[in-house]
Amino acid sequence: MIKRLVATLAVTTLALTATARAEEKPTKVTVGYLNLVNAQLVTKHLGLLAKEMPGIDIKYVKIGGGGDMLRAIAGNDLDFGGLGNPPTAIGATRALPIKGILVINMLDYVEAMVVRTDKNITSLKDLKGKTVAAPFGSTTHYLLLQALKDEGVDPASLKILDLAPSDIAAAWLRGDIDAAWFWEPNLDKAVKNGGKILVTSGEMAKRGYPTWDIGVVMNAFAEKYPSYVEKFVKAECEGIDFWLKNPEKTAEIIAEELSLPLPDATRMMNGTGMVPCSKQLTDDYLGTSAKKGKFVDTLLSTADFLVKQERLPKLLPRTEFEAFIQPAYLEKVVGH
Amino acid sequence: MSVEASHMVIPISADRTRRGGLRVPNIPRSILLSALTVAMLLATWTVVTEMGWANELFLPKPQAVWAAFVKTMTKGYQGATLLQHLGASLYRILTAFALACVVGIPLGVVMGVSRNARALLNPLIEFYRPLPPLGLYTLLVMWLGIGESSKLSLLFLAGLPGIVISTIQAVTSVDPVYVRAAQSLGATRRDLLFHVYLPAAGPLILAGMRISLGFTYTVLVAAEIVAASAGIGWMIWDAAKFLLSDVVIMGLIVLGLTGIVLDLAMRAIAKLLMPWA
Repeated sequence: MIKRLVATLAVTTLALTATARAEEKPTKVTVGYLNLVNAQLVTKHLGLLAKEMPGIDIKYVKIGGGGDMLRAIAGNDLDFGGLGNPPTAIGATRALPIKGILVINMLDYVEAMVVRTDKNITSLKDLKGKTVAAPFGSTTHYLLLQALKDEGVDPASLKILDLAPSDIAAAWLRGDIDAAWFWEPNLDKAVKNGGKILVTSGEMAKRGYPTWDIGVVMNAFAEKYPSYVEKFVKAECEGIDFWLKNPEKTAEIIAEELSLPLPDATRMMNGTGMVPCSKQLTDDYLGTSAKKGKFVDTLLSTADFLVKQERLPKLLPRTEFEAFIQPAYLEKVVGH
Repeated sequence: MSVEASHMVIPISADRTRRGGLRVPNIPRSILLSALTVAMLLATWTVVTEMGWANELFLPKPQAVWAAFVKTMTKGYQGATLLQHLGASLYRILTAFALACVVGIPLGVVMGVSRNARALLNPLIEFYRPLPPLGLYTLLVMWLGIGESSKLSLLFLAGLPGIVISTIQAVTSVDPVYVRAAQSLGATRRDLLFHVYLPAAGPLILAGMRISLGFTYTVLVAAEIVAASAGIGWMIWDAAKFLLSDVVIMGLIVLGLTGIVLDLAMRAIAKLLMPWA
């Protein structure tokens, strides 16, 4: 009798919470997406998020780089965003109210260091005395400094400038800079105008410096509308599936979204590593809620690097970065 | 258009100049009141942060900002000490401002004295004056590159209209009686310029210069966003990227204080040059 009463109570409570939860619905969802080539463009183009969240005003905001994304997050202007590993390490260390929920992309040759062909630069050592640009605080700035360190080149022996990707392209066309480490679609403008690739981010990944972008959600949003975080992850996973299954159509979408010729879009696509959602829960990526994956290691080493660069005040313990990675939503979507 | 705008500016500055004359008995009180404002601000800041009402990420404690100041003074921020950053910025501001004065004051005098010149040049000044500096800057970067010239041009263009417009206003408001008196005494055009127009218009031109320096200051951070590696504006921008709000606030305070010092210096110079003002 009592058992049954408890059971009824439990069921009623569950039903009540379920209804209560169903009623909680955001009126507007703002997604900040990085201006680079990945499946978020597919999700956006196909309106997959709108299908998951009918009746909700979905606003996409294009954001140039990680620094701007951090500011937008700190200013509470977004519900979802995307960040490369250096800005993520910064955000996690500075206790920004965000959690990493999804691998947006792994960076291969979609990010690369381009050098001026006529400057006879064949190795990083040849960069001494040259002017090199990178968006400070981004994945490529991080890789540039790591690569210089590994080659034993003193960063002070070259002039490193902080420029946004679009400004790098403009400065390159004017001949103001000799080399730059940045990303598509602007990277291609430099390559086509007297540039050649010296080293790609994919090569750096093989040397032990993987770079990636991770989808993040604001904590306040996740606490209030957890089911909508799942919907977001589901929509992005559908975009990733579409990317993996329909490469030709995806290239067309990217060409259209970024106003690029189709061959360029295809090349940029191939230079981006897309990880199927089920695979994201393996140890190489996010891992599971019980055992977080290698993303934690990357965050930790990136943060350590930034502390040495005096861009971060202190190195947080590993547990903080583990807490930042939240595969729980993805686990529900994938059905673990 | 410009006339209305300057009308709004001039009485205020004239007021200030007049107050300057009566200043002596006011000194202790005004300083006390100013000190009170600063103290109140500091106290509020301390209380808010000590009580934990503000997220330290956005509003760090005063002592954290002080620590950032000491560290930047001694060890530097990203390869340059605070004084080097300040030097780089002051060089840009003062060079651009000096250029704006050298170009703007003669331009303003010519436009003030000659209606034709005013009609010819007004469209240019009036057109670019309200343009947002960042919009202008993208074009300047494309034209002039990412080096110093685009930064100096932006600062120059920000400072120029203020000077031109207040100089025009200053020259046109010179009492015609002075001009006629001088002419009846046989003054040449040159005499008129150096002995009537400039001395009479001087105080208002100076007011315009002070306003213009303020405009130059407001675009400093924008100017240093693109490809700078030193400068207070760049330091603020870079620190904001890494969410180092203590450095950001410290940079803003330093920027504000140097602005006050520059303004005081300009007033002191004016007093030396124009004791009649």
